[in-house]
Amino acid sequence: MSDRLRIDDAVRAYGPATGVLGVSLRVEPGLVHALVGLNGAGKTTLMRATLGMIRLDSGSVRIGGVPVGRMPASAWAGVGHLIDSPFAYPELSVRANLEVAARLRGLSARAAPEAVDAAVDGMGIARYERTRASRLSKGNRQRLGLAAALVADPDLMILDEPTDALDPAGVIALRETLRERADRGAGVLVSSHHLDEVARIADRISVMNRGRIVGTLDRTGAELERSFFELVLRDDERRAEDVGGES
Amino acid sequence: MNGLRAALRVEARKAATARVLQAGAVLLVGGAGVLGASLTAAVEAGNDQVAAKLGQVAATDGWPLMVGTVSQIVAAGALLTFGITLSWVFGREFTDGTVYGLFALPVSRTAQTVAKFTVHFGWSVVAAAALTGLVAVAGLAIGLGGLDDSAATGLGRLFVLCAVSGLVAAPAAWAATLGRGPMAGIATTIGLIVLAQVAVLAFPSGSAWFPIAAPALWALRPDEVTVAQLALIPVFAAGFAALTARAWNRLQLDR
Repeated sequence: MSDRLRIDDAVRAYGPATGVLGVSLRVEPGLVHALVGLNGAGKTTLMRATLGMIRLDSGSVRIGGVPVGRMPASAWAGVGHLIDSPFAYPELSVRANLEVAARLRGLSARAAPEAVDAAVDGMGIARYERTRASRLSKGNRQRLGLAAALVADPDLMILDEPTDALDPAGVIALRETLRERADRGAGVLVSSHHLDEVARIADRISVMNRGRIVGTLDRTGAELERSFFELVLRDDERRAEDVGGES
Repeated sequence: MNGLRAALRVEARKAATARVLQAGAVLLVGGAGVLGASLTAAVEAGNDQVAAKLGQVAATDGWPLMVGTVSQIVAAGALLTFGITLSWVFGREFTDGTVYGLFALPVSRTAQTVAKFTVHFGWSVVAAAALTGLVAVAGLAIGLGGLDDSAATGLGRLFVLCAVSGLVAAPAAWAATLGRGPMAGIATTIGLIVLAQVAVLAFPSGSAWFPIAAPALWALRPDEVTVAQLALIPVFAAGFAALTARAWNRLQLDR
């Protein structure tokens, strides 16, 4: 089976140490891959490029083995994503927002209601179904955005900082739904600026710093945070030496 | 076009609950109807100041006065209203942060753009029908008498003027996309209204070749506008709709 997602030598530079500067990674079926890095490391840029929101300067992105530029429109039905802000129209209710998301993700008018029921249950927002999105708390808006990303039961999920604003119950709900979907064969790429609960359930943790993947973490290892900061610090020192050597 | 049917349903659902569209329709229909009826009543009562402001239209009376007065208001008012609402329809995706959710979907962004224009034009037609109906009721209420053929034709032209204003507002959608928010579209709409006024004043004989000015000129002086000049209106709207679709397809979310 081909990778759910494969990125090779992706470059989208905004400066000498800003953007994405040659990243390769894979998300295999059944795998949760966490991308961890400090703010500005390039995680969101990489995810935007993966989803066609920005064009790469060089490198390639393949989803299900097909280059993103050549993917038929229908194939995007198998991709769920949450980037930057939740997909939530303030004037629509939670249910209406999810029905809109379901239709845009290729579900028929007949299939959408059942998918919406499952999505609101999965993210624990069933009691807000009739509430307008503008009246939701930040955390519940995030849950709505996650439910919208997952409503069409995608094979590949790309979630940027999904635990932002979530309370512990929301984090657990997300963790369980991602694990359950991965166990059914989906691939998950999830980013975080810290080693949160979702990053800790990942099968693979890549550390990104200043546009590059600088190492991986063993989630079973002790002192995960210390290992993370050591990788980042070592990379920063190496770059400082390189700059010093050049000058 | 991938997913056009789904995109149309989604845009119709969003439009049905959009308070900006509801407020726009109420302000346009109510404002033009009430203002038109009161100005007509004022002229009929012999108010010279109002008559002077209305220009040539004030020389008529009865239904032609009423329809001509409302048409003058709608000429700028409908373009302003539809320009603002169309700017919001496209620009709110950026300001509400929903634009990210419109990428990487089986429904293409071309289909989304076509659906936005289609639903917005449909809404313009509904608003135009409501305005025409209100003007007819208001005319009867202020005692203009029954609707004869001439009055019905005038109301028909008013309906078309209002509905077509939803088409000529198309540049607002392009500007809102390039400017990534409603404000650029609203500024463009104001610019269009100013340009139309300047065209009418500076080139009185050729201003009907300007698609933004043509609908109002046709509604007020139908004999002075040719079919070719009217035919430019949908071409103009389709051109800007195509530019908007292109801008959405080429969009990069890196700022």
